[in-house]
Amino acid sequence: MATRRLTRSEQLQQTIMYPIDWLEERSGLIGGVRYFLFRKVPGDINWFQTLGSATLTAFIVQALTGTILAMYYKPSATIDPHTGNPIAYDSIKHITNDIWAGWLVRGMHRWGASVFIILMFMHMGRVFLFGAYKYPRELNWIIGVLLLAMGLGEGFTGYLLPWDQTSYWATVVGININGTAPFLGPFLAQFLQGGTYINTNTLSRFYAIHMLLIPGAIFALIGLHLYLVVRLGVTSPPWSKEAAGTGPLNGKADGRATRSGLSRFGRGAR
Amino acid sequence: MASDRIVERRRVFQQYKEDVKERGKPFYPYAMFHDTLMSLVVVATIVGLSIVWRYTTPGNHHAAAATGWLGPLYDSPADPGTINFVPRPDWYFYFLFYLLRIFKWPQSVILGTIGLPTVFLVMLLAVPFVDIRAERRLLRRPVALVAAALVIVSMGVLTYKGATAKEALGSEIKGHVPAWAKAQGFTGNKLAIAGANLFAVSGCLNCHTYLSDGGHNLGAPELTAEGAKNKGIAFQIAHLKCPACVNPGSPMPSFAGLGEQRLNEIAHFLEASKGRKQ
Repeated sequence: MATRRLTRSEQLQQTIMYPIDWLEERSGLIGGVRYFLFRKVPGDINWFQTLGSATLTAFIVQALTGTILAMYYKPSATIDPHTGNPIAYDSIKHITNDIWAGWLVRGMHRWGASVFIILMFMHMGRVFLFGAYKYPRELNWIIGVLLLAMGLGEGFTGYLLPWDQTSYWATVVGININGTAPFLGPFLAQFLQGGTYINTNTLSRFYAIHMLLIPGAIFALIGLHLYLVVRLGVTSPPWSKEAAGTGPLNGKADGRATRSGLSRFGRGAR
Repeated sequence: MASDRIVERRRVFQQYKEDVKERGKPFYPYAMFHDTLMSLVVVATIVGLSIVWRYTTPGNHHAAAATGWLGPLYDSPADPGTINFVPRPDWYFYFLFYLLRIFKWPQSVILGTIGLPTVFLVMLLAVPFVDIRAERRLLRRPVALVAAALVIVSMGVLTYKGATAKEALGSEIKGHVPAWAKAQGFTGNKLAIAGANLFAVSGCLNCHTYLSDGGHNLGAPELTAEGAKNKGIAFQIAHLKCPACVNPGSPMPSFAGLGEQRLNEIAHFLEASKGRKQ
């Protein structure tokens, strides 16, 4: 039977849609993305609630600039006979002074770390003040606290990498502090140092922890964190008159009127 | 059987889901627009900080000592041998760093190093299990409000104190050695004088105090009258080599890198320090 020949625009549409349909049929990913993008959030959310995604952005900046730095950085404390400086230190100098825009990438990584940590604390403060850690979002608060600890761990391990006086001696004291912990302390200090004192093994250990171990854990935890955000939804600001969870706002009735219908437990779990 | 509270919070969450479905707005484009704008501000801030950091560094960027508005591009290379150091972490650890000064060394310093941070972490993890009321309005959560205010104020104060903590410069302190020798009465003791010079430039005074010198950054003991304890040269050398071996729990770094001869000199200096002669 004569099937109608497709018009040009229909042909074009089919060509574009084919790989998308192919992917959707086999993975359901497109549906997932669509669900993520078009899921409903309360109508009254507020600027403070952008701090979480801002923190994510800062982490992505760290991941990207860190990858570029890793292409040039050399984690070795061995002295280069030509310059008389440790190789790691020279590679940092090289990145800062010689490589095109190297100073920018390193600067973004260095200052991005501070911004990331500030944003983590601010995001946490927002969640605390909004009471957004309450039922059913307790688990996401815990994941957030773990992310904060990991972020600080990144700060501690990354600080040593330039292998200059400041970073070296701050880490000596930092490791000694770890060593004072009861039971596990001495083992932890020995493990971090890769020996009985800080040396080139310490540097490669810190480098591996800084760019593989902790970032891997952070990526996984961010995935869980976002999954729970999408699954449980975003809270309305607690002061909002049309906060989600108060029931229908039937017409002209103001928030107060609807709220009075709630039980003695108040406006919770939104 | 689920308690009333559990039944109620499930009901409210169900209501929340229905309300969002009914009168919420889609994440894209509404919330995403705000998120994107905020993210752009974040990236711009990071780039801006890098530019200020680099372009306010004066003159020759290659000099390690050149410092711009946001600090030097890098310090001089790490040198385990010349222990003239400032044990200073990045600013977001200042609050921990300053906690060390509050506790007496070394008996209770572990409270500052391990104790309080662990307690703080456990308290953070426990927040949603301790505060199980459904109430979210801040003014009706006085305990949470006060706790948040206390944490913010104390972290701010500790960070500020850590940032402004005085540091001792080895080269300046070295000029005080003759005065030390006079005050302590070891002017004739060549070993002690050599040890005093090493003591001045090896960063000891970033943590310790001696006569009127010392940054006292980490709350380490006052050493003016260390010799009056008559612990002996051998003890002093052993302690400098491995402080925690002699003094369990001490976070002081090892100074074994200085070598036998120089450690001997510092030990003689410490033993000669019997306290200010009136």
